[in-house]
Amino acid sequence: MEDDERQQQEEMSTENGTTSKGTEKSNSTHNHNHNHHHPLAQAAGSCSFPGFFGKHRMQAAISHLNNQIIIIQEELEELETIGESSTVCENVISSIESIPDPLLPIRTKGPVDATWDRWFGGGTNNSRSHKRWI
Amino acid sequence: MSLSQPKMSVAELKERHLAATDTLNNLKQRLNHTRRSLLDTDLAGYARSQGKSPVTFGPTDLVCCRTLQGHTGKVYSLDWTSERNRIVSASQDGRLIVWNALTRQKIHAIKLPCAWVMATAFSPTGQSITCGGLDSVCSIFNLNSATDKDGNLPVSRTLCGHKGYISSCQYVPDEDTHLITGSGDQTCVLWDITTGLKTSVFGGEFQSGHTADVLSISINESNSRMFASGSCDTTARLWDTRMASRAVRTFHGHEGDVNSVKLFPDGNRFGTGSEDGTCRLFDIRTGHQLQVYCQKHSDNETPPVTSITFSISGRLLFAGYTNGDCYVWDTLLAKVVLNLGSLQDSHEGRISCLGLAADGSALCTGSWDTNLKIWAFGGHRRMI
Repeated sequence: MEDDERQQQEEMSTENGTTSKGTEKSNSTHNHNHNHHHPLAQAAGSCSFPGFFGKHRMQAAISHLNNQIIIIQEELEELETIGESSTVCENVISSIESIPDPLLPIRTKGPVDATWDRWFGGGTNNSRSHKRWI
Repeated sequence: MSLSQPKMSVAELKERHLAATDTLNNLKQRLNHTRRSLLDTDLAGYARSQGKSPVTFGPTDLVCCRTLQGHTGKVYSLDWTSERNRIVSASQDGRLIVWNALTRQKIHAIKLPCAWVMATAFSPTGQSITCGGLDSVCSIFNLNSATDKDGNLPVSRTLCGHKGYISSCQYVPDEDTHLITGSGDQTCVLWDITTGLKTSVFGGEFQSGHTADVLSISINESNSRMFASGSCDTTARLWDTRMASRAVRTFHGHEGDVNSVKLFPDGNRFGTGSEDGTCRLFDIRTGHQLQVYCQKHSDNETPPVTSITFSISGRLLFAGYTNGDCYVWDTLLAKVVLNLGSLQDSHEGRISCLGLAADGSALCTGSWDTNLKIWAFGGHRRMI
């Protein structure tokens, strides 16, 4: 969260706009709206030339903030019907218990996959002594 | 708001910016609060209420059954093939080694054009490998191609375009033609290997993506259009490859870099490991944080987690730490049931990477001590 804020402030604080994030967007807008955003027109108004680049970056930053706001609002809406964590936990348990696991000290009924023991030189159950290979 | 409103003054824009920032912060707090109120139990609490008891290992159950020696520098990354017993490892010595883990044989030793490799992966068919690192490119090697006059395997394709280091890479399951990378430039990219071009970029400028380096990615094996990413911005994000403009969901909770993410076997949750010393389990559908895995180590510290993976059922969560520990967590009961770092033949340095064999029968750990080790279950399995 703090990272987002920091990012916005960085976008706003750079004045010359040569390498930072807002540049591409502000340049393209400049081409389309030159009547209102021509540097000379700006100079006659309340903003100086460096301020012009600052405004576009600020507008882009505000747009970005608004997008994030929408995303969080959507998530809040979703949470109204999503259910509590306990409803999910049962699924986790049943998914774990449905898959045979060679690394567990338990096994369920049915044939054992002999290849599980290939690390100890066995393809069969008979050779399952505590051999260690280094 | 339209960008072409001409009359807005700087002062007015600053006001709007401030207002939007305020609104966003309030919403984030509300979101946090609402999420916390929906956590009526964590996974361990629920499992205990169902009478589950922790996994218990005897002293010689999980053992180191192979040590793969050959690298002369720190091992940074490893990956198993999807069949047979081969592993590719990447090291600071500037080499990739392809091993037969069963026989300990080195099948290939590839000298890399750039020694600063951070990530490597095997293709689904096992015929290619990829790697990337500080050079910001992904190099693809075809293991069937002829070596050059110096005996080196040539690079068959280079994927260029990232503006930062490659921290992680993984092929899209079931095809050798696409892979996904995570990068220090804050983006993830889906690549078409046959053309060498980017198919999609996830995040980046003005997109709703990570706001700091991406350190890890993990593709969902059961739904390869979905993948998770972890970042220095302390979040994990879920992506749909059909929608690159914004993450499907952002997962908050960690208080430090998310160094490692891994999809849970059922594809409906994923785990994370972080600089903050904890691992967490998140649910994909609801976004809930189901469990935090945190335990002080023997020196009363909580060292950063470097890498995680799950056993094939998901019952065990393996986590490597910077102090050389490798905890085996009981995922359901959030208890450490074993520390591979304290066993005989354990690594002598930080565990930087881990991976599970395709059939789940073995775990491979890679370390800054330059070795890889294979761990398997050599004890008696109790029938239940």
